[in-house]
Order: sequence, then C-alpha cells, then structure tokens
Amino acid sequence: MKRHILALGNSRSSSPASPGSVLGAESGSAFAAAAGSDWRWLAGLVLLLLTLSGLPFLFEALFGDGADFQLHRVTLILILALAALAQNLLTGYAAQPSLGNAAFFGISAYLLAWLSSDLQQPYWLAVLVALVACALLGLLVGGPALSVSGAYLAIATLGLVVLTGSLLTLWDTSAGRQSYELTALPEVLGDDRSLYYCVLAVVVLIFVGAFHLLRSRVGRAWIALRDSEVAAAACGVALTRYKLLAFVVSAVLTGLAGVLYATWGTTATASMSSVEQTIAFLTMIVVGGPGSLLGSLLGALFVGLVPLLLGELPDPLALGPLQLPIAMLTTGIYGVLLLLALIFFPGGLSAIFARRPFVHASEEGESYGP
Amino acid sequence: MLALLQILLSGLVTGSLYGLLALGIVLIYRTTGVLNFAYGALAATVTCFLYVLLTGPHLPFWQALLLSLLFALLLGAVVERGFARPLLAAPILTKAIATLALALVLQTVVQALWPQLTSPVHFPTPFEGQALRLGGLYLSLADGLALLTTALLLGLLQLFLQRTRLGIAMRATADSLEAARLMGIPVGLIFLFAWMLASLLAAIAGVLIAARQTVIDVQFMDPVLLLAFIGAVLGGLDRLAGAVVGGLVVGLADNVLALLLAGHSLGTLDLGDPGIRQTLIFAGFVLLLLLRPRGLFGGAALRRV
Repeated sequence: MKRHILALGNSRSSSPASPGSVLGAESGSAFAAAAGSDWRWLAGLVLLLLTLSGLPFLFEALFGDGADFQLHRVTLILILALAALAQNLLTGYAAQPSLGNAAFFGISAYLLAWLSSDLQQPYWLAVLVALVACALLGLLVGGPALSVSGAYLAIATLGLVVLTGSLLTLWDTSAGRQSYELTALPEVLGDDRSLYYCVLAVVVLIFVGAFHLLRSRVGRAWIALRDSEVAAAACGVALTRYKLLAFVVSAVLTGLAGVLYATWGTTATASMSSVEQTIAFLTMIVVGGPGSLLGSLLGALFVGLVPLLLGELPDPLALGPLQLPIAMLTTGIYGVLLLLALIFFPGGLSAIFARRPFVHASEEGESYGP
Repeated sequence: MLALLQILLSGLVTGSLYGLLALGIVLIYRTTGVLNFAYGALAATVTCFLYVLLTGPHLPFWQALLLSLLFALLLGAVVERGFARPLLAAPILTKAIATLALALVLQTVVQALWPQLTSPVHFPTPFEGQALRLGGLYLSLADGLALLTTALLLGLLQLFLQRTRLGIAMRATADSLEAARLMGIPVGLIFLFAWMLASLLAAIAGVLIAARQTVIDVQFMDPVLLLAFIGAVLGGLDRLAGAVVGGLVVGLADNVLALLLAGHSLGTLDLGDPGIRQTLIFAGFVLLLLLRPRGLFGGAALRRV
C-alpha cells in the first residue's frame, strides 16, 4: 500500500513544473519518503511519543518547582503544531495560498469565551459550537477563494484576518474590556500537567488522523490538484469539492487550535486574528516544510522554541570584550535564524530527515546567477 | 463644498503616497516574483538614516537627502545580493516569509544602532509649516511635493520601462526569465537593478511620509504598508499605473470615510474611530476582490496548461 502511494508522490519530481503551485511543496511527506526504512520511522515515532508523554517527569527532575511553568510553555508548542498542520493541509497539500486561518483562530476563541463565560454554556458544548461555526466560515471563505488565486488570494485573505481582528477589537472596546477572559473552564484543564496531557492527546489524535486522511482519496486528490490542477481535473478529481473540503478541514483544525490556545491562556485576545499571527502560521509551514506532517511539527518547534531559548540568554551577553544587549536584539536574531533556515533549507527543515534531497519543482527551479 | 474638495485633495495626497509605495511593491513583484513585506522596513531604515544625518552631524537637508538616497541604492544592492539572490528559486510564500524576516532584522539593526528611534521623534524638514493656498484650498508644501513626486516618478518610470534598453530588458526578464536569458540579457544585473530602483522608491516614499507625519520611529511604516499592499493588489499587481490608481483609491476612501463617519456613533460605538475606518476599508477591499478577482484593471488570468 505504502509503496503504491510513494510512486504517486514521486511522480512530482519528474514532472517539470506546476504553474499553480505557490509553495514548491515536497512530494510525499517525510513520513512517506522513508517508506523504504519503515522501521526507523516507527522507532523514531515511538521514541518521540515516549519522550513527549514522559516530559512532565523529565521536567520535574530538571526544573524542580518550575516544572509546571516550563510544561505550560511546551504545551503552547503543541497547540502551534496543530495550527501549523491546519495551514499545511490547506497550503502545503491543497496548494491554496490562503492567509486567512488566523481569522478562524480568533473567532473560535471568542466564541468559546462568549458561550462558556457569558452565556454559561458547558465548556464542551461551546467547543463544539465554535468548531461547527469555523467549518461553516471555512466554507464561506473557501467558496469565493475558488475564483481568486495566487497572490490575490493571499492578500485578500490577509485583509480578512485584519478585518476579523478589528471586529473583535471593536467587540472588546464596546463591551469595555481588554481581552475576553475564560472564567468557566473545566477543572481538568486548569492544571498545567493535565492540560498538557489533554493537548498532547488531541494533537497525537489529529496528526494520526491527518496521516491517514492524506493517504486516503481526499489526500491524494489534494496532492494531485497541487501538482497540476488541469491534470487532476482531467483525471476526474472534483476540484471544487476538494478545494472546499481543504478550506473546511483547515478552518476546523485552526478553530480547534484557537480553542486550545484560549484555554491555555485562559483568555481570548483580538491579537489572535492579526497579521503577526498569520505570519507565525506561515512561518511554521515554510520553515518546517510545506507538504510534510513532520514539517508542521518542526515548524512549530522553531517558531515556539527559538524565541523561548533566546529569551533564556543572559542580558547583556558578554561575548569577549563585547557586551550585547540581547533583549533588544532578540527579534533580529530570530529574523536572522529564520533567514538562514529558509536559505539553507528552502524545502523546509523536514528535508533534513528526508531520504532524497529536496527537488525544486517551481518554474524557475534551477540554478541562477549571472 | 470647499470642505469636500479639501478632503478629496488630502485623500489624493494620502493616496499618492500609498501609490508611490505600491509602485515599488509592483516593480519587485513583477521582476523578481517577491511579495516584498520588507518594503516598509526598507523605507523606514533609509528615513531613519536621514534623520540621524540631520540631527547628528547637522548636515544641510538636501545634502543629507542625497546621501540617504545613495544609501538606499546601496541597501537595495546589499539586500538583493545577500538575501534575494539565494532565495531566487524558492517558492513565492517562502520568499514572502523571508522578506518578513528581513524586516525584523532591519528594524532590529536600526534600533541597535540608533536607540533614540525606538520611541517617536520629531522629523525636521525645511518644508515644515509652509503651505500653498489654491483658491480656498490649503495644501501643505510637503503634501504638494508628495503629489508632484509621485506623478513625476510614475511618468519617468513608465518612460524608462517603455523606451530605454534597460527598461525593456527588465520587462523581458519579468515576462520570461528563460527567454530573456537566451536573448543575452544579464538577468542577474537586472535583478540587482530592480531591487536598487525599488529601494530608491521606498526611500523617497518613506521621506515624504515622514515629512507629512513630522514624527517617526522605527516602525512608522508598518501601518502604511498594508494599505499600500491593498492599493497594489487593487491595481492588479502587474501594472505600474494600476498600482498608483489603486493607492489613490485607498487614500481617497480613507479620507472620505473619515469625513462621513466623523461625529457619528452607533450605540456606544464611536464611528469616527480610525479602527472602524480601517475595518470598512478592508471589508470593501475583500468585497471588491470577490467581484474582480484580479484587481480593478486585471484581465482574465492566462494559464499555461
């Protein structure tokens, strides 16, 4: 079975160009690329899962009293991975350069806050309603997106995010609050450690689900329409249906990430739907590797962990005779690291783990220079 | 009536500044395929450099301006060689994210070099406080210069792209890289030149905006950039005149909305709030793009099968 799919995925590198693709996404995810060494991947996966589930105990040994605080910060990375996966399914697999996901991120969080805190509905019902609302909104955004393409779609959806952000801000100011506090959380989710395990369980479940979805008819349709819309349509892939499906799935997953994020921070803020948030989502998939499940994880790790680690540096940092004001330089250092990652791993960090070197499939995909 | 004309005039000025920025955005997008989100940071960096020249060694304004524009050319060249060239073959979203990273780096460098610019400072220009009176209309000198410069630059750029060998080579490169290279066009130099030119445009726009606002800091271009992008997309992302017209539309909408909404309120909501204005502009933009998916003037998309 896997061999079969691999062959399908590989066809990309031999086909010269795909004009519609905005992200020269790597064919066949890093998971699939290693079909020849299945057991190594399985071992890696098991090791990763064991580490993640043992992390609270590891942190306790490492940080002592600060363990819960550190765990709290790691939980955020898992939530980010979920958002990265959502963006990746839409952009890396179905090739829709939509920057609108941050809109769903904020809307679901606000819906959750409104339903659970103000209307006193049960938390789980509120989550469900938020996700359904995101699905409908995804359909609503996806419909017009079929006629707008490329850079136009990107900027239009970015406009949608800014629009959502300012609407949420308006809601906040007219209700006279800074941000929307979540007051009625279930007890389980209030504790750092159980929150971590809950988020971990959700993330693992979703990633496994996505792994299988991508190997189903749906995933193959997405990859086919990414590689060539014309060819996909000619082969009988219903473009409209699968593009819409990509928007809906992505919206729901982003909504889920938004709900978890609000729960994590016990507050929903309008900045969840902002250009910065969109940038974070995009950065994750571009750095991690578009069209790769592993890439979503690595991207979230980069975006979540690098600023954390930079924040841990002493300030000012003495480098020989130089006194570096680290606090001021953090953003810049992050920018430099990001640039380096993009320049040296144009196909994403997941290429490190891929068996084959990354092959550019974009139109201008060969060596340049005078 | 006069009030409306005044508003339209000021909208024209705002719009021409957006248009000027959009011009550079379109230039880069067309020639090198980069959605340049670092454009605001480029403009801000050069403007901050000018500010430092003006306040540090107290150079005369025009001399300092000349030096800053030279610096802009240099900056454009450095950015192209150090950053755009290695990423030339990368997919478009990767390049867009890379420009964002570049913007972060530029802002940090400016902050580290000149810490006084982290908070708003007064930007001195010789035109401050001077104004033209046209009939009953009032036009500050900085605004007049902005209008004039945009018109002049658009005209020059059009002439350059239509009539000169270099301009035609640039258009050929934008059209088809392979063909251009086969015709013996040094595409590497063309890319370098496009970035330098765009950086120069950014610098001019930055200085004009700073002269208009009279107050700058490291991030003073950020709120402007997104609106300039909207202008560029409305204009179709592929024609220079379209970019300027798109910018003008955004600027006019901004000012007319300000006039219409001022003093009104909806329940507890003050409609004169700039946030509402921005919301409306974005809503209008999204709607407009739905009706005309390739901008106001964009034709049907041609797709190679």
